[in-house]
Amino acid sequence: MALRITRSCIGCNACKLVCPQKAVVRDAHGYAINAHRCDECASQPNPPQCGEICPIECAIVDNEGRALNPLGSLTGIPCEQEQVIQLTELAGHA
Amino acid sequence: MSQSASQSACSASLPPPNMSAEQAALVEKHPCFSKGAHQFARMHLAVAPACNIQCNYCNRKFDCSNETRPGVSSSLLSPAAAVQRFAKVKQRIPETQVVGIAGPGDPLANPNATLATLKAVGQHDDEVHLCVSTNGLELEDQLPKLLEIGVKHLTITINCIDAAIGEQIYAWVYFNGRRLRGKHAAQTLIDRQLKGLKLAIEAGMLVKVNTVLIPGINDWHIAELAEELQRYGAFVHNVMPLISDPAHGTYFGLMGQRGPTDEELAQARSDAGVSMAQMTHCQQCRADAVGKLGEQVNVDEIPDVVPAELTVAVASRSGEYIDQHFGYAKSFDLYRIGKAGVEALPARDIEAYCRGQNECDEDEAQLRMSRALHTLEGVDVLLCSRIGLPPRQALQEAGISVNTELALKATPEALEQVRQQLLEKSAQGSCAKECG
Repeated sequence: MALRITRSCIGCNACKLVCPQKAVVRDAHGYAINAHRCDECASQPNPPQCGEICPIECAIVDNEGRALNPLGSLTGIPCEQEQVIQLTELAGHA
Repeated sequence: MSQSASQSACSASLPPPNMSAEQAALVEKHPCFSKGAHQFARMHLAVAPACNIQCNYCNRKFDCSNETRPGVSSSLLSPAAAVQRFAKVKQRIPETQVVGIAGPGDPLANPNATLATLKAVGQHDDEVHLCVSTNGLELEDQLPKLLEIGVKHLTITINCIDAAIGEQIYAWVYFNGRRLRGKHAAQTLIDRQLKGLKLAIEAGMLVKVNTVLIPGINDWHIAELAEELQRYGAFVHNVMPLISDPAHGTYFGLMGQRGPTDEELAQARSDAGVSMAQMTHCQQCRADAVGKLGEQVNVDEIPDVVPAELTVAVASRSGEYIDQHFGYAKSFDLYRIGKAGVEALPARDIEAYCRGQNECDEDEAQLRMSRALHTLEGVDVLLCSRIGLPPRQALQEAGISVNTELALKATPEALEQVRQQLLEKSAQGSCAKECG
């Protein structure tokens, strides 16, 4: 039982600061969760802390790949508009 | 309002609240608090990426337009790198009188990085004014530490004092381990902002309040807000226009929320000006801004300042070689390395960070890490044979560079190698100064 950080992560460091298990690690490739340490905050009174503070949708997922903060759940921006932005970004990079 | 003409005349001449001589001196040198201080420069150190709230005018994914949040694409600094950056900017731009932390997240959501940076900057230069810009959520808790390290300038962004308005501005607020939403989130934030504002003013801080003007949302509320700020004793009020270019990807930008026109901004400032002195020269600068207001400085072009001396701590089991794991070191041998040579200093004892194979209690480990940091205060470089990733990061964040590449070398040989690197760097530094 452990959570994971996806490639959506922007590296804001917030999860690392609040993780009660000190399970979030940072290296040259970005942020990751140490599976041995993470208990999905089962031992804590509050929901998983990384998921509670993460500002980016779909950046934290559970064992089965389900996002703790699915698209549209944090910014309130409707999904279609979010996708338009991502497409524009892709176009910009191409 | 019908008396806008007389009000704007009034706002222009409205004196700031009564100030002590000490506070007047604080205002004089801070370009963000006084229009007259434009000859002085300020520097923002971007050491605080995490944020504990989501504002609808901010997009955490890339450079933020409003406020002082450049977002994730600008490079983030460790406290040690931040102090280096300050040292070289100060050398190039001696008018740099103010060092502030303004993000790119919320400085007080990154208390260790923020406090360590400001403390180190203050130790480097005891005349520089230290400044923090926050959303105020964690202000009450962090205020004692800010005061302790000598922060006297504070900016709090307060967009409203009514939760019904706040819930249209803030998507969520992370407080006490939970993500709050809606009116409850806004009320929590507002209560904490006002409590922090009150305590900071009582403690003698000079407090500026920033308000992002959002037409149709908080524009009709600005006068009421300013009246409340005056009651609390805020020093100056900075009403800033919402920036909502859809290309920035913010909620407001994408949802078609427009920014104010020049007339609306002037009207809001004049409404607020009835009770609060207004700041009108704000450049809405970024969390990594450098120089005088409105001026762009490329810090990367300025050569690094190379210290004349380094204090080096060595973890050695044998007393002859770099052969001790950091976690098991019970004492560190200390040396001062300068151009002239290597000088031994008294060794420092420490309780070992690790106690064995069993994983220790997290709190206990943290306590011992903070003892280790205390033991290593003033040290620039640590030489050891091995070190775990978390303590390595903690040391680096505290400004101590960790070197395990010299493991198993004889101590004198390793120290000489460090000295050679220092000499090389200072030769490069002085060349860059002469040539560039």
